[in-house]
Amino acid sequence: MLAKLLKHEFKATARIFLPLYLILLIFGLINRIFNVFDIFGDSISFNMQSTLSVISSIIYFTLIVAIIVMTLVIMIQRFYKNLLGDEGYLMFTLPVKPWQHIVSKLIISMLWSGLSLIVIISSIAILIGIKDTLAALSRGINFFIESLGYTGLLTACSYAILMFILYVLMIYSAISLGHLFPKYKLLASFGMYSVLYIINQVVTTVVLLTFGNKALANIISNSPTPSQIINFIQSLLPVPILLIVGNFLLTKFILEKHLNLE
Amino acid sequence: MSIILECKNLTKTFGTKKALDNVNLSIPRGRIIGLLGPNASGKSTFIKLCSGLLTPTKGEILIDDHKPGIETKKIVSYLPERSYLNDWMKVSDIIEFFKDFYDDFNPEKAYDMLVRLGIEPKDRLKTMSKGTKEKVQLILVMSREAKLYLLDEPIGGVDPAARDYILETIIANYNEDATVIISTHIISDIEKILDDVIFIKNGQLVLTKSVDEIREETGKSIDSLFREVFKC
Amino acid sequence: MPWHLTSDRPIYTQLIEQIKLKICSGVYPPGSKLPSVRDLAREASVNPNTMQRALAKLEEDGLLYTQRTSGRYVTEDVDMIKKAKNQLAKEHIQNFLTKMAELGFDYDEILSIISSMAKEMKK
Repeated sequence: MLAKLLKHEFKATARIFLPLYLILLIFGLINRIFNVFDIFGDSISFNMQSTLSVISSIIYFTLIVAIIVMTLVIMIQRFYKNLLGDEGYLMFTLPVKPWQHIVSKLIISMLWSGLSLIVIISSIAILIGIKDTLAALSRGINFFIESLGYTGLLTACSYAILMFILYVLMIYSAISLGHLFPKYKLLASFGMYSVLYIINQVVTTVVLLTFGNKALANIISNSPTPSQIINFIQSLLPVPILLIVGNFLLTKFILEKHLNLE
Repeated sequence: MSIILECKNLTKTFGTKKALDNVNLSIPRGRIIGLLGPNASGKSTFIKLCSGLLTPTKGEILIDDHKPGIETKKIVSYLPERSYLNDWMKVSDIIEFFKDFYDDFNPEKAYDMLVRLGIEPKDRLKTMSKGTKEKVQLILVMSREAKLYLLDEPIGGVDPAARDYILETIIANYNEDATVIISTHIISDIEKILDDVIFIKNGQLVLTKSVDEIREETGKSIDSLFREVFKC
Repeated sequence: MPWHLTSDRPIYTQLIEQIKLKICSGVYPPGSKLPSVRDLAREASVNPNTMQRALAKLEEDGLLYTQRTSGRYVTEDVDMIKKAKNQLAKEHIQNFLTKMAELGFDYDEILSIISSMAKEMKK
C-alpha cells in the first residue's frame, strides 16, 4: 500500500515540479546564450542586448526562488489539503494506515527537495558551463574531505538530512495540531509550529547541557581539532533522531485517534 | 440474520454541541436503509463516524465486528456529501486510483456506468458541472463490491432523470450480503426502494422500523410520516 | 403493463396484487418463466427484498413455483389462475357495488344501467 501511495503522491506532485524544472533549465540555456554569444552582432546596440540579458537573468533567479518556495509550499499543501481538507475524505477512507500517509508524503517531499537542488545546480551548470561547475563542486567536496575526512562528510550529510526530516515532520505535527482547533485551523497551525520549534530548541539545549557539557566546553574554549568537531556532531545525532520520532508519533497519534474531518 | 453495523452508546460532541447523543443501533446485512432527518440532525456525523473520518467522543461502532480502521475501510464504500476528487485528474485516472487501493473495485462496471451516463473517461473533472462530478463519485462508490455502502445525500444535487438512474444503479448493484445506508431529506423519491428507515432528530434516534410496517400501521407514506414527525 | 405503486400502502401487498393481475391478464402466461427478482425489482423500481417477499407469498399461494435450477415459473394449473381471476373480479365488483350503494342506487337500478351501457358499448 505504501508503494501505491508513493506512486500516486509522485503523480500528483510531478505535474507541478517537472514543468517548473524544464522552464528553469531552458532559462539557464537562454541566459548562457545571451552571455556567451553576441547573438545580435553589431547591428543592434549594446544597450538592447544588455537589457534583454538583464531581464532573462531576473527571470532565471526568480525561477530559482520560485522552485525553492514551491518545494516548501507543495510540502505543506499536500499534507494540509490532501489529508486534512476535502480530499482527506477520500484519503482517509482508503484501507491505508495513517503512518503510511505520513511516510509517503515525507518521502516524496524529500525526493522533490533533492531533485530541486540537483536541477538548480544543473541549470547553473548549463549557465556557466558543465566543466566549470563540476570543477567547483569537486573542489568544494575535496576541501571538505581534506579538512574533515570521509567520516566528516558522512556525518555532516546525515546531520543535514536528519534536520531536514525533522523540519518536515515538525510542519506535519504543527498542521495536525492546528487541525485539532475548532476554528482558524491554518492560523493555529502556524502558532503550533512556533510552539514546536521552541520545544525542539529547548529539548536540544537541555540534552546538550546535560550530556554534552564537557564536549561543548571543549569546543568553545579551545580551538578544536577536526576530529573533535566530528565526534561532537556525532554525539549530537541522537537528538534530531529523538525529535523525529517524537514528532512522527505525535502526528500519527492525532491522525489515528483524533481525526475530525468536518 | 447477522449484523453488519452495531453502535453502542455512540456520542459525538463538537465543542459543547451534541451532534449524536447516545445512539444504540444494530443494522443487519442485506438491507437498504434510509437514514432520514432534517438538516443538521446528525446524519452526516453518523455516517462519518462509521467511515472513520470522525472519532467518537463516547461509545463505539463495530462494522463486521471491527472498530473503524483498515479492516472496515476495505469493506465500506463511502460517498461523501461533497466533492473529494482532485480537479486536475481525468476520470480514467481516478478509476486507476480506486483500482489500486480497493481490491473489491470493478473497473468494467465503472466504465459501463460512465458510458450509460454519457461521461467521457478522458474528461478532466475540472471541466465538469457539479452534478456530473457527483455522478462520477457515485459511479466509483457503487462500482465497489463492498459489504456496507454509506451514501451521504446521493441524490441531493442531481436532476430527476439522473436520480432515477442512481436509484436503479443502487437496486441493480444490490446483493444479499450488502447493506446500503442512504442518508437524505428527499424521501418521496427513494422510499420505494427502502427496507427500513431510521428517523434521526437532534442527534437522537426517533424511530427505526421497516417501511411496510409503517405503511401498514399508519396508512401513510414515509414522506408524509416524516413531515409529521419533523413538523416545525 | 407498467407498475403503479403508491407510497401510502405497503409496497409488498401492492406488488402481490399487480403480479396476480399480470398473471390473470396473461402478461405472464401459464407455465411461463418469470424474470429474475433483480430484473423485476428494477422494472418496478422497488427494493429486491420486497419483490422477493411478494414472490414468496405468491409461491405459497400456489400461483408460482420454483424450479431449483432454472428459476421461477407461473403455475400451469389453469383452474387455479381462473380462480384467482374470479377472485379479482369479485373484489372489483364488491368495490363497485359499495360505491354505487353510497350513491343511493339499488341492485335493480345498477343492473339496468349496466345492461344499457353494455348495449351501447357493443355498438
